[in-house]
Amino acid sequence: MSSPAALRRPGAQTWGTFLTGVWRDHPIFSQVLGICSSLAVSNRVENAIAMGAGVTFVLLATAVFIAGLRKLIPGRVRMIAYMIIIAAFVIIVDRFLRAFFPPISEQIGPYVGLIITNCILMGRAEAFFITNTVPQSLVDGLANGLGYTMTLVLIAIIREAVGFGTILGMRVMGAGWVNWVVLSMAPGAFFLVSLFIWITRTLAGKDA
Amino acid sequence: MKDRLLMLLFVLVCGTVLTAALVAVDAYTAPMIARNEELKLKRSVLAALHIPFEEATIERTFADNVTVGNAGGTPFYRNAEGIVAFAFTGSGLWGPVRGTLALTPDLGKVSDLTIIHQEETPGLGSRIAERSHLDRFRGRSILPALASVAAGKAAADSDVDAITGATLSSNALVGILNANLAARLPELKEATR
Repeated sequence: MSSPAALRRPGAQTWGTFLTGVWRDHPIFSQVLGICSSLAVSNRVENAIAMGAGVTFVLLATAVFIAGLRKLIPGRVRMIAYMIIIAAFVIIVDRFLRAFFPPISEQIGPYVGLIITNCILMGRAEAFFITNTVPQSLVDGLANGLGYTMTLVLIAIIREAVGFGTILGMRVMGAGWVNWVVLSMAPGAFFLVSLFIWITRTLAGKDA
Repeated sequence: MKDRLLMLLFVLVCGTVLTAALVAVDAYTAPMIARNEELKLKRSVLAALHIPFEEATIERTFADNVTVGNAGGTPFYRNAEGIVAFAFTGSGLWGPVRGTLALTPDLGKVSDLTIIHQEETPGLGSRIAERSHLDRFRGRSILPALASVAAGKAAADSDVDAITGATLSSNALVGILNANLAARLPELKEATR
């Protein structure tokens, strides 16, 4: 976390919150949350972008609601409150994708509903939104959403290029390229996500 | 006591507001989602009947070139040459498989088929939906029934080569087609007579 002096300046605090989300407490490699969906939908870049955008949107909407209502939400039912708020916005994302982006909805369909169980949402709601102001929560939600999206897209770029020979549907590998089927399937995601976590944790000095 | 009432009130109000929001979103997107589903079906029927179409004019192409009939309460589709198509559905190896099957005018052979939904293993079973596999069904006799045989072993009129490494998904697709044919063929014969 930032030093106490830095925390006194609002700009620095916002920046600190942002950096915490996208790097220091990165949802995937540091908190190790949201792993299930990052394994499942990172097979193609467009799926990763749609999933990342969906999670980021739900994070932002949840941040506004929970931080805005934090003084009203009774402590003993706060978990239920998180659940119904998150669930409502997840359903909205699902309907939106089905109405406007049917091909993407077809590809990642079941996983959109599973955003509800994405631990990043419950995690941020309980760890941050419930005790912070709306603007700070929005920054935190955005940072975590971006951290998650960037990871998914990075993994998806590798998986789609090697597993399908394309990126965003455009051919990037030569005609003679033989697709590594294993990378387009779940086991390939395990290899890549664990490599990603290993490299980033080493870079961030998490295990030092 | 007051705490509990407040708790109840909060959950009630929060639930009502969010439910209202969901009802509004549903009312707004339902027609679009229904239209997407319909377009998907039309796309699949047009492809199975070999009618070229463009994304922007699917509905007009469909209305101009396809006659929709009714066999036993379920629709079927016919093009100018008399090729008959209908939607099929069933269980693949891992999940539901849906698509459109087109038969020659005498209802004796497969003209073509398309798959709009499948959940088979990516890279293995999912290849049942690839053009190269679907082409193996063209001209195969549906009588007495389609048969899935090992790759390269197709001999009889009704034999279809399976995909090596995806035998179970290939067999499942043939099984689905046979089951749907068994159910629909009598009523299709009746309706197209």
